[in-house]
Amino acid sequence: MDILILDSWLREYIETDATPKKVAEYLSLCGPSVNKIEPVGRGNKKDYVYHIEVTTNRVDSASVYGIAREAWAILPRFGRKVRFNQLKSNLKQNSVSEVNYLEAKIDHKLCPRFTAVLIKDVQVKPSSEKIKERLSLVGVRPINNVIDISNYLMYELGQPMHTFDYDKIKGSKMVLRASKKGEKLTTLDGKIHTLLGGDIIIEDGKGRLIDLAGIMGGENSQVDAKTKNVLLFVQTYNPLNIRRTSISLALRSEAAVLFEKGLDPELVSLGIKRGIELFEKLTNGKAEPEILDLYPKPYKPKRLKTDIEFITSRLGIEIEKKEISRLLEALGFKTSWSGKDIEIIVPSFRTNDISISEDIVEEVARIYGYHNFPSYLMQGSLPEPPKNTPFEFEIKVKRILKGMGATEIYNYSMVPKEFVEKNALRLKNPLGAESEYMRDSLRPSLIQSVKQNSGEKGPFHLFEMANVYLPRKGKLPDEKVTLAGIFSNYTYREAKGVIESLLEQLNINAEYKPEDSQHFLPSRRVKIATGNTPLGELGIVSTRGGSAFGGDEKRLIYYEFDVEKLRKSSKSVSSYQPIPKYPAQIEDITLTLPERTRVGNVVSSILTASKLVKSVELTDIFKDAYTFRVWYQHPRKTLTDKEVEEIRNKLLKEVKKKFGATQKI
Amino acid sequence: MQEKIQNIKNQAIAQITQASSSGELEDIRISYLGRSGKLAKLIKEIKRLKKEERKQVGILANDAKQTIEKQLKVQQNKLREMVREWFDPTVPGAKTPKGHLHLVTQAIEEIAGVFEKIGFVRVRYPEVEWDWFAFEALNMPKWHPARDTLETFFIDAKPHPKYGQILLTPHTSSGQIREMERVKGTKAGVDSVVRMINIAKCYRRQSDVSHVPMFHQFEGLVIDEGIAITHLKGTLDYFARNFFGPGRKTRLRPYHFQFTEPSFEVDITCDVCKGTARLPDGQGCKLCKEGWLELGGAGMVHPTVLKNGGIDNKKYTGFAFGWGVERTFMMKSGLEIDDIRLIYSSDLRFLKQF
Repeated sequence: MDILILDSWLREYIETDATPKKVAEYLSLCGPSVNKIEPVGRGNKKDYVYHIEVTTNRVDSASVYGIAREAWAILPRFGRKVRFNQLKSNLKQNSVSEVNYLEAKIDHKLCPRFTAVLIKDVQVKPSSEKIKERLSLVGVRPINNVIDISNYLMYELGQPMHTFDYDKIKGSKMVLRASKKGEKLTTLDGKIHTLLGGDIIIEDGKGRLIDLAGIMGGENSQVDAKTKNVLLFVQTYNPLNIRRTSISLALRSEAAVLFEKGLDPELVSLGIKRGIELFEKLTNGKAEPEILDLYPKPYKPKRLKTDIEFITSRLGIEIEKKEISRLLEALGFKTSWSGKDIEIIVPSFRTNDISISEDIVEEVARIYGYHNFPSYLMQGSLPEPPKNTPFEFEIKVKRILKGMGATEIYNYSMVPKEFVEKNALRLKNPLGAESEYMRDSLRPSLIQSVKQNSGEKGPFHLFEMANVYLPRKGKLPDEKVTLAGIFSNYTYREAKGVIESLLEQLNINAEYKPEDSQHFLPSRRVKIATGNTPLGELGIVSTRGGSAFGGDEKRLIYYEFDVEKLRKSSKSVSSYQPIPKYPAQIEDITLTLPERTRVGNVVSSILTASKLVKSVELTDIFKDAYTFRVWYQHPRKTLTDKEVEEIRNKLLKEVKKKFGATQKI
Repeated sequence: MQEKIQNIKNQAIAQITQASSSGELEDIRISYLGRSGKLAKLIKEIKRLKKEERKQVGILANDAKQTIEKQLKVQQNKLREMVREWFDPTVPGAKTPKGHLHLVTQAIEEIAGVFEKIGFVRVRYPEVEWDWFAFEALNMPKWHPARDTLETFFIDAKPHPKYGQILLTPHTSSGQIREMERVKGTKAGVDSVVRMINIAKCYRRQSDVSHVPMFHQFEGLVIDEGIAITHLKGTLDYFARNFFGPGRKTRLRPYHFQFTEPSFEVDITCDVCKGTARLPDGQGCKLCKEGWLELGGAGMVHPTVLKNGGIDNKKYTGFAFGWGVERTFMMKSGLEIDDIRLIYSSDLRFLKQF
């Protein structure tokens, strides 16, 4: 939580020669972080506001007094002089468990400590300039002296308090209990709330709900300009109930934010006494001599034991026993050593936060100052790494694709319903319908990515490597690393060339078999496999919504691979082939193919026509004429023209028989 | 005599073939064939020879003269034709298309590289995770705000009797328990030594200019005998030096996390204002807090977390840190991306900048 602390207000409790900038620096290094120092006011009223972040476990420091207490421990470590003006009260009021002005029935599970005091004959009027100015500077609007006092003390002590118009509490009676579901209460901001049940509420003698305790007062009991008698009200509440109510009713009052972190019941005494003092001084009211104080389980000091070896081993440096005591005592702990062992008494305001020896180590270390610790790298043995980690392979694939002009993209894992199959994982609490499901394919996101770049006229190739999430009953989903990409303004041949090059560079011997599939246009998809292992697919996609992106040559070409299968099929070093001793004969053959001949099949036929055909490449297509470059090679001799002719005739015969292809001369 | 003529001839040819201008060739012609040239001088001496010798030497001298003259001509032509063929080397190259790795990929590679050099093992654990690994085993109380449906995404599925609900992990810390369990299964005689760097996608219910619902974190976890605060400091300093550069300084501030005790927030000096909080023009630096930028959280592993991971917390101690990949990378490069959601957009105008 972020709090604002006024420098001049803080200096009422700590007197020091440190400038605001230095105070901020020292606090940040050893205690609560000061995110900003904001200069305010002018001339001799020049002042500063510290913007301080208080962690949830240190609600005890979320006040002027709490910060002063930290500063008192920290500043001397930087050689600064500090005087701490501790708050005490000399009031003569007694705390009793019964008073004549209020009958109270309290559920102490909800309210560990309940105090109240009647203050008679108050004069409701504007506050003093000093109080008004201080409140304004920390962002609180001054209203009248009664309300300002409770706000002022909440900022000073971190203890919220409330004031009722005493005469509006029917029957001078209060019942503090958990609400029932459906009960209605109007808070002082005029809003009517229907309660969920389990909220902490106060009911008066006539059964009216007069307070949403710890969060906001009720409208029917609030102080107004005509108020004569005020009931000052200081409590601690069960933090879980406060948090639940405050969140579910979206009532995030400052009081609720403090109470939900669990406040120190011992602070209540100081709170109510400071309240009485201010009321008598600023409203001319007169407090009753007895304070109602219901506190059935009073605080018992918490004790912890640890030893010097434990502390030293966790710190990594040696700090003397005497020094450890000094550091802890500055924070309000009491310590006593017996040999190596130390017993520590935790101050009441730290009870919730200090429970194990490690907590003591933290207090010693931070006040000693982390900046005073040396830095060492670990020595010792190294861990056993997991076998076969995929990371190197994954970056290799990405780098190959980048080298061929692809642009990597990261899309969200959460997608709308129309992007997934029926049984995909659904979020209980998505941010919106466009991110309600965990994707089970990368394809819809990639198609969307292309659409979002409709302004791009040139060819582009996007790819993504990410998990898809495939549900498994009673288990976590299968998170499958998938590589997918999409080509825009590429011809099918260009796109397929990129994929063929990728697989070649990964030393994967891939086969491409035409096979229709749901998300691709008919006859425009190949399944890619190596041996019996399916690796992925490539083809021209049918985009949902029907809009074909122009003719075949302009449509989107999509591919997808199972990365784990790629990795297992990939050889990091290609196998060695002896360099042929005799040169190959190379020639170009142009074939005229009948319409609808699959040229991939023609290539395989040429290759298998003879063992002496080493390799075939398609080099040119002109209308129905396809030019192939053929390498003829014998392992033990140079082929003669005559021998080549024989092979050529054999392969020509073969393609003629199979495809009706004729040689074009 | 005959030998002399032969030498002069060879000498001349050598000089001619090396000549690079007509002027040079003319000088060579004069020095050999001119009236007082080297060859002319020799020819004058022929008269003094015996009669029977004269004829043969004369033929030789004549041959030498003709060869030199011819060679001069050849070289002359060569030079004339060496007028340069037109070629424009300033023509812009025909480039192969330029590819781009996403900045998150670049960041992950760099970060992992720094830690792998000091023996950290890179791992990756589930993004869709049980509550046990993400919260319960990490000492997060049931009422903790992070466990609220306001902050964490939950999957619509039946909870596991032991591991609880299925959720999208909000941090890489869920890998801590998984890594502790993994090393306990290895048989290298170092069954409780951990040096993990876990980099993965994380999810939180947030979306605005500085928050995205999906982002990346890297989590360091070290467990061994005698691991202390000084080792945490040493590792973070090592990372800062090697990732951000030797000029940057780090500091630890006390903080609070449920799964570490003590806990810290780690800051690094701001690169824009050089840690002074003031820009050269006197204006306050808008990027940082009083000269420091927040890197992320760190701490000594809470003994309860060690216990939940099956590690003897009397014998072993450890530290952990978990930071945002995007944020850390932006702080290194000084990139100021005004809307962080751009990182996860498809906009090529953005993607092509990296």
